[in-house]
Amino acid sequence: MKTKIVFLLFFVVIGIAATAFRTSNDALFAVPKGWQKPAYNFQQNPLSKQKIELGRALFYDPILSRNGMVSCASCHSQYSAFTHGDHALSHGIHDSIGTRNAPALMNLAWQRVFMRDGAINHLDMQALAPISNPSEMGENITHVVAKMQATTIYPQLFAAAFGDSVITGERTLKAIAQFMLILVSSNAKYDSVMRKQAVFTAQERKGYTLFKKHCATCHTEPLFTNHQFMNNGLPVDSTLRDVGRFSVTQNPDDSLKFAVPTLRNIEFSYPYMHDGRFKRLSDVLHYYTAIALQNRTKNHTLAKELQTPIILSSDEKVDLTAFLLTLTDRIFLFNSAFSFPRNIVFETAKE
Amino acid sequence: MIRLSIALIILHSVAFGAALGQSFAQQRPLNAKTSASTIRLSIIPTFGAKPIVIGDSAFQAKDANNTHIDALKFYISRIQCLLKGVVVLEEAQSFHLIDAAKEASFHLTIQNKRGARFDGKFDAVRFHLGIDSATSVSGAMSGDLDPTRGMYWTWQSGYINVKCEGKSNACTARNNEYQFHLGGYKQPFDCLQTLMFPVSVSDTITIQFDVESFLSKIDMKKYHHFMSPSADAVRLSARAAESFRIVP
Ligand code: HEC
Ligand code: HEC
Repeated sequence: MKTKIVFLLFFVVIGIAATAFRTSNDALFAVPKGWQKPAYNFQQNPLSKQKIELGRALFYDPILSRNGMVSCASCHSQYSAFTHGDHALSHGIHDSIGTRNAPALMNLAWQRVFMRDGAINHLDMQALAPISNPSEMGENITHVVAKMQATTIYPQLFAAAFGDSVITGERTLKAIAQFMLILVSSNAKYDSVMRKQAVFTAQERKGYTLFKKHCATCHTEPLFTNHQFMNNGLPVDSTLRDVGRFSVTQNPDDSLKFAVPTLRNIEFSYPYMHDGRFKRLSDVLHYYTAIALQNRTKNHTLAKELQTPIILSSDEKVDLTAFLLTLTDRIFLFNSAFSFPRNIVFETAKE
Repeated sequence: MIRLSIALIILHSVAFGAALGQSFAQQRPLNAKTSASTIRLSIIPTFGAKPIVIGDSAFQAKDANNTHIDALKFYISRIQCLLKGVVVLEEAQSFHLIDAAKEASFHLTIQNKRGARFDGKFDAVRFHLGIDSATSVSGAMSGDLDPTRGMYWTWQSGYINVKCEGKSNACTARNNEYQFHLGGYKQPFDCLQTLMFPVSVSDTITIQFDVESFLSKIDMKKYHHFMSPSADAVRLSARAAESFRIVP
């Protein structure tokens, strides 16, 4: 009899917990209408308001860097769609310059691998890379955990998020991942048009047609990326010598391939490409219509879509640009839930 | 939404199963032969026949190359006992970081998965050296898999299966230092090794990882540093696996 009661209670508790998980996850993260299922496995890291808030604090806190000066937000600032505003190559601690341009952070729940070469296999593990990179934050996760333990704020935030104040690498990474997961951009004019709440101007509509013809196989709607690695023909920068995906797979067929980036909020995420070589959208369009012929023939991994020239008149370039600007999502860019957490006073860790 | 409800039903039935297991245990308390339901497995890093002393500057092996070991850590995972080729004991969440600097990490008590029964009879033990690919792509983990244990690559995802660092006169690198970080979960550079040893029935098994034998298989004039997945890392992982032996 006693066994039965225990069993029933257990069932009920799990039932309630599971239901709570469902409602909270749904309230904190919704899949926009018509989008595919996210790649992230939320069951292994169920969202909660407290964990997201902890992740947000961590994202904005320079405690993650060796010298206490660099936070994730230093290179991923909200007003520039979480890129390193106006920096071709990111710089980290002691002003050391990195080798790549910081990509925009949004809709990461739909992405399976991360970094421009796909070196990172899970969003949880992403934060380890900048924390440990000597020219970014120059730290290590073990030391970050020790520093946080020595503060008064973090044991409290971890207790609120995880039920006890124990700080581990796993909890730290999962909290940062939760904050990044809720960075969903789905409220651009483009989205309103798709939801039939707005209409394109004639110019935007022409631009959309051109986009679907020339760009959409790689920058595929609604995420504006096909999540593949492709070579879009950029000549190799002779100082950086970045071979892209090849450095991860060692497969010659992956040479010079980079992750196809989203074009959402492209108006704000300049400069463009893996090394930030183009400052303006007009530079990008000029590039796509003028991929040098010798580059087409010499470059064995060049995507087949770009092996024949894209021809756009100057009017068409204006139309296409008008369309690209409909991907700007001001609700996302100015959402105060994603900005610096003013309610938290960061302290410098006592060591 | 529908998918989520299905997931919920599964969750419910898992809870159901777990609760059932619990009530079983309550109704039929385990008999006196409790020890038969677990086995003790010791994985001991050695240098030849001698135990390894990490961080002891006086430690010098009596090998021709005068080898020091400053760090030796490796993962043992998916531990199973078999009887006539059939798995009779399988540990849940079977991930163990063995650290030559921490003796307590050598001695494992292996319990069967919850609900599964084990009568203590087996004729072989099997385990992985390293972390499998499914676990390697599942995000942040706790316990011995927590990245604060220093066994996770940062700039490129994946666990380091075997980490061995030190000095050897045979090594032609700067300060004679060698650093072998072996790992990689993706083809063609999957470094995971499966080891299997026949055992004469006993609930205490001792297996040695002879690092002298492992290092002797590496040409340190040519190789000093392994820091990422590669064909050489796969080859060397196999050499590491060959350097495990069961103590009769
Ligand atoms: C010093 C600048 C810098 C700092 C600090 C920094 N990042 Fe980045 N981030 C970059 C660069 C550059 C890349 C692209 C690197 C590459 O592709 O190799 C990147 C890539 C990423 C990506 C992958 C995005 C994608 O689309 O693949 C994520 C996610 C990310 N960073 C999150 C973070 C988090 C979280 C932190 C704080 C723990 C952080 N970053 C700190 C510069 C930085
Ligand atoms: C064959 C696939 C492919 C096609 C077709 C393609 N792109 Fe791209 N695009 C890429 C890749 C790959 C990158 C990233 C290259 C890099 O990082 O070096 C990229 C980068 C960009 C960027 C820079 C984004 C950023 O955040 O840095 C813009 C803007 C862009 N493409 C616009 C377009 C437009 C407009 C078209 C159509 C005229 C187009 N692309 C067609 C593959 C493609």
